[in-house]
This record gives sequence, C-alpha cells and structure tokens, in this order.
Amino acid sequence: MFRHIFSYRFKKLLRTKEMIFWTLAFPILLSIFFHMAFQNLDAAETFQTIPTGVLADEAYEDHAFLKEVLLEVSKGSTPLLQVFEGSQEELARLLEEGTIRGYLTAGDPISLTVRGTGMSENILRLFLEELNEQAHVMKTVQEKDPASVPRLLTAIEESSALLVEKEKDTAAPSQILNYFYSLIAMACMYGAFFGSDEITDIEAHISSRAARIQVAPLHKLKAFLSSSLASYVVLMINTSLLLLFLRFVLGIDFGPRVGYLILTTFMGTFTGLTFGAFISTLVKKNENMKSAVIVAVTMAGSFLSGMMYAPMKYIVYDKAPVVFYLNPVNLITDSFFSLYYYSSFTRYAQNMGMLLLLSILFSLGSYTQLRRRRYASI
Amino acid sequence: MIIEVSHLKKRYGSLLAVDDLSFSVEKGEVFGLLGPNGSGKTTAINCMLSLLSYESGDIKIFGKEMRPDAYDIKKDIGVVMQNVAIFPELSVYENIDYFCGLYITDKKTRKTLVEEAIAFTGLHDFRKFLPRKLSGGLLRRLNIACGIAHKPKLIFLDEPTVAVDPQSRNKILEGILALRDRGSTIVYTSHYMEEVETICSRILILDKGKAVATGTKEQLKAMISLGMKITFDAQDLTREQLQGLEALPGITEVQQKGSVISLKSKEENGSLERILAYLKDQNIAYNNIHSEMPTLNDVFLEITGKELRD
Repeated sequence: MFRHIFSYRFKKLLRTKEMIFWTLAFPILLSIFFHMAFQNLDAAETFQTIPTGVLADEAYEDHAFLKEVLLEVSKGSTPLLQVFEGSQEELARLLEEGTIRGYLTAGDPISLTVRGTGMSENILRLFLEELNEQAHVMKTVQEKDPASVPRLLTAIEESSALLVEKEKDTAAPSQILNYFYSLIAMACMYGAFFGSDEITDIEAHISSRAARIQVAPLHKLKAFLSSSLASYVVLMINTSLLLLFLRFVLGIDFGPRVGYLILTTFMGTFTGLTFGAFISTLVKKNENMKSAVIVAVTMAGSFLSGMMYAPMKYIVYDKAPVVFYLNPVNLITDSFFSLYYYSSFTRYAQNMGMLLLLSILFSLGSYTQLRRRRYASI
Repeated sequence: MIIEVSHLKKRYGSLLAVDDLSFSVEKGEVFGLLGPNGSGKTTAINCMLSLLSYESGDIKIFGKEMRPDAYDIKKDIGVVMQNVAIFPELSVYENIDYFCGLYITDKKTRKTLVEEAIAFTGLHDFRKFLPRKLSGGLLRRLNIACGIAHKPKLIFLDEPTVAVDPQSRNKILEGILALRDRGSTIVYTSHYMEEVETICSRILILDKGKAVATGTKEQLKAMISLGMKITFDAQDLTREQLQGLEALPGITEVQQKGSVISLKSKEENGSLERILAYLKDQNIAYNNIHSEMPTLNDVFLEITGKELRD
C-alpha cells in the first residue's frame, strides 16, 4: 500500500505543472535574471580596507585577545581593518563624519556600533561574530586549561588570517551570493505548495478526492506520510537540479562545504513542506486563498532575508531579531551564509536547529487537524 | 440486513440537517434516497460513511457498528461521490488503478479488476486519456469506475448523473442495474424522480432531513389520493361546464390556467372515457388531451405541499 500511494503520488506531482513551475522553473528563471543583473558586480566591487574605531578604555587595555586580533587584521598591504583608537566622543564624531565605518567596544561580549547597512558594515558584523566566538573559546580555555593558551592563540591567529583572506577575496561575491542564497531559500519554501496539496488530498472536508481516499480501508496518517514522502522526494530532486544549474550553468561558487549546502536545502524543503501543510490546515478558504497566503508569506520572508535588498537582513537583525530567527527563509539563507563565511559550525547549527524546531511545530500544528477522524461538516 | 440506521441526528450549527432518520437496506436492493437539494441526502450518506460526526443515532453496516477505523467494513464499500473525485494529472487507467489499489493490494488481481471496470463503464477507448480530454458524461463514468473497480458489496452512488447528457445518463442507469445484478447492494441518491422510479426497488423520501415516506414506488403512490391526472386545451369554458366536469364520477379537482384544463381523478380507469363523453355532449372543442399516472413528484407534493425541484 505504501509503495502504491508513493509511486502514484510521485507520478502525479511530476505532472503537476504549476507546482514544478514554482519550485523549479521559477527559481531557475529568477536565477538567470539575477545572474544577468549582477554579472558585472564582481568587477565593480574591489575590496578596500575598512576604517574601524576601538574604544580605548580600561576594558580594552585588559583585553589582550582583542588587541592581538586587531593587530593581526591590520597587517599586510591591504589589511582588513585600519584601526583608530579613541574615546567615546572621538569615535562617535568620526563615525558621524564617516571617517570610520564603525567602532568596537571591549567587553563580554565585544560590541560593535555602526551607522549604515553597507558592505563594510556587513563585514564588520561578520568579523565581530567570529571575534566573540573565539573570545569565548579563549576565556573557557584560560579557565580550564591555561597550558593550552599559546597553542590556541596560534590557531586563532591562523583563523583570523583566514577570515581576513576570505573577506578580502570574496567581498564582492558575498553580496551576490546573498541574493542566490535567498533564491534557493525561496525555492525551498515553495515546497509549501506540495505540503498544502498533501492536506487537500487527505482532508475530506477540503476535497472529494480526499473523501474518497478516506472512505477506503487505510489509516489516514499512514496514507498522508507515504504521499508526503513522495512530495519530499520530488522537492529534493527539484532543489538539487536548481543547485546543479546554479553551480554548473551559472557558475556560482558556493564554497567547499557542498555536502552541508545540500543538507541545508533538504532541511529547508522539509520546513517548506511542513509549513504548507500547516497553512493548509489553518486557512479554511479555497485553494487560491491558500496559494496566495503561501506566496505572500514566502515573498515577505524572502524580502526580509535580503533577496530584493541585501542589507535588509541586517536591518531585521538589528531592529527585530525575533523576526530574524523566526523567518524560515532567513534561517535557510543564514545557514548558507554561515557555511560560507564561518569556520565554526555554531551559527549554522543554531539555524538548522531553529529550522528543525519550526518544522516540528508546523507538523504538530498540522497533526492536531489531521488526527480528526470525522468532520463536523464537509 | 446490509444497512441499519436508527434515529440519526445531525446538525450544522442551528440547522438540523438530518432529523431522527431511521431506515434499513436489505441485501441486493437498489435503495433510493429521494429529496430536493438540501434535504439531507448527502449528509446522511456522509454520516453512514463515517466522514461526518453526528449528534446521535446508530449506524450499522453488514451488522457491525460503522466507525472511521472499521476497515473490515470499509473494504467492502464503494463510493461514487457527487463531485467527480479523480486526479486530473493521472490517466483514466491510472486513476482507476490508484483508487482500486487502496482496496486491493495484489497487483495481478487489481489489473483484472481495473480492466473489468474499464469494460463495464465503456472507457476502453479512453484508457490513456487524461481526464481533461473527457466529456462530462465520460468523466462521470470514470468517477463511477473509480468507486466500483474493487467490486464492493455495498455501493453508495451520490447523484452520479448530475450534469450528464441523456445518453450518458441512460448508460449510467443501465450500469447501476448491472451492478445490482452482479450482487451489489446499492444506495442511490438523486433529486431526479424519474431515475429513482426507474431503478430503485425501495425509496425513502427526504425533506428537511426528515423521512417523509418510505416504500416501493407502488406503495408510495398508493399513499396519495391521486389516481390519474388528465389535461387538455379548451377555449372559453363556462363556469357551468367546469362544474359539470368536477361533478363527473371520480373527479376530485378541476383547475383552469388560461386554456389549459387539468383534472385530477382518484380512479385510474374510466375517467378519461367519461371526460371525453362529457366534452362531446357539451360540444366543447378541445385538443392536446393526455393523461398521466401519478409520479413521485405528486407523492412529494401531496405530502410536503411543494415540488421536488422547489
């Protein structure tokens, strides 16, 4: 029975042109458009050292690690940062004038003050996140195993050097990549159409087809799971084809962590699928209304994750961090982002954890409706 | 007994859709549920199929209580929904095979059953067609094939001929009788009285969720005083002539609408001859005279005071 439902569902989905369009053809068309629009951006953007302030207070004087790292990133012919030390007033004035793009304040954690939302500010944010992560590791090692500090410092130096190189080398593509990351995330979330369709074909009060399936001698949830698995497989094929197209036709370089990239898209499609199922159980209106809600939520999520305006991601992060962590499109985008930019997996794991949590919540929400065995009205 | 429904009550908010409905269906019957739109036919069927929750009542199918997880009962039931319930992306063959496969797991057996269903519904030439290429009548036939391919012992057909051309309708009705001859018990709902009269061995008339009458068509017609209805066209009949018609033996009612004169007679025999003799005697010019036996619509009209299609 499982194979029977799975195979026919699979066949049915592959022939459903609208859904294949939204999850494969539309993202591919959009990616071609992005590629055409951004292909000259690489040449236009060359890396320039970022003038950055640091508050020269007592905390900074005691923060050997911060000093060490700032020294490291100021070295070379085109260093990552050009560091200005100064008082609070001086730094505020320099920031206001635009002489510096932001300034750091020592502490636990180290904080960053910026004014704008441009590329330099984005790099500073990345730098700060990496810095705080390493500072935390350093503090822990100092407390638990002081003998390992010199070895760790060497490792951190190497890591900082890597970050500097990475930022310098990939500064221009990073902005372009963000658009493609959002695009993949959008394609993943369009898996919601499949999830919605699954509910339509299993809930007897929504469609006659579902009523016919429900009067058959089979367990409703088992039927739902076997057909949903078919949906998931089709979605994985679609997103894999999209990734292959981006990598080998458009030549987008996603960095060396390809396996994790694929894992993220599979997790993202799962979230999309469960999200669609949840929306379908929630919205009692017709199919058009459900599709409209899915498109609206996904497009809003894509916008907030920076698909139309890259700095939007950071604006949301600053002004509404809850939205940042609850927006599945952003979580997928940020997972790609952290895979590309961070050596550590902490942030990636956080994002994936949040995606899994959202998927579980969406699934539970759908289950509360799916477990009904009789309906009040059809 | 194949179906036993007792004191079924179902509400939609403040609307009582099925009101204390009780009936039973015997093996081999074509049992008709007749009533106007909104009378509770589909609601009653959905309750019997355990799709709808209901306030009170008992439903037994094959002698066992019907529940959503009563898979041993469900495996012998076939359902033909009022709306065409198929997958537009699958071909005729694939649709029938898919729904049959929800009941029959053995591939070989299923293949035979699907072929039989295709032959039974006359869809052989269209087996590879996608549903969008089928006419309304063929779609209805596909809808039926999907519901009966697994050869169920009990089949619910909910208005299977809605929006179907007369030729396809006749084919569908012939098919339903063939299903009965094959050994299936059938519950058939319709608001077309002619269909119900033609194929049903017993009929339950529903109005506002209530059973207003049950029996064979002969029993139902015997419930009303009307034996025959006679209609003819005549100009300028005087009041005395109309009264003379009404005074004829067996005539219960005379109505005049323009030139159309309608008479109701409680007798099936003799009335027409007496009327013709009276018209000749009075020298009344007439045409288009015809007589009609009472229909289920007349039964419904007499019991509820309204037409079936109101």
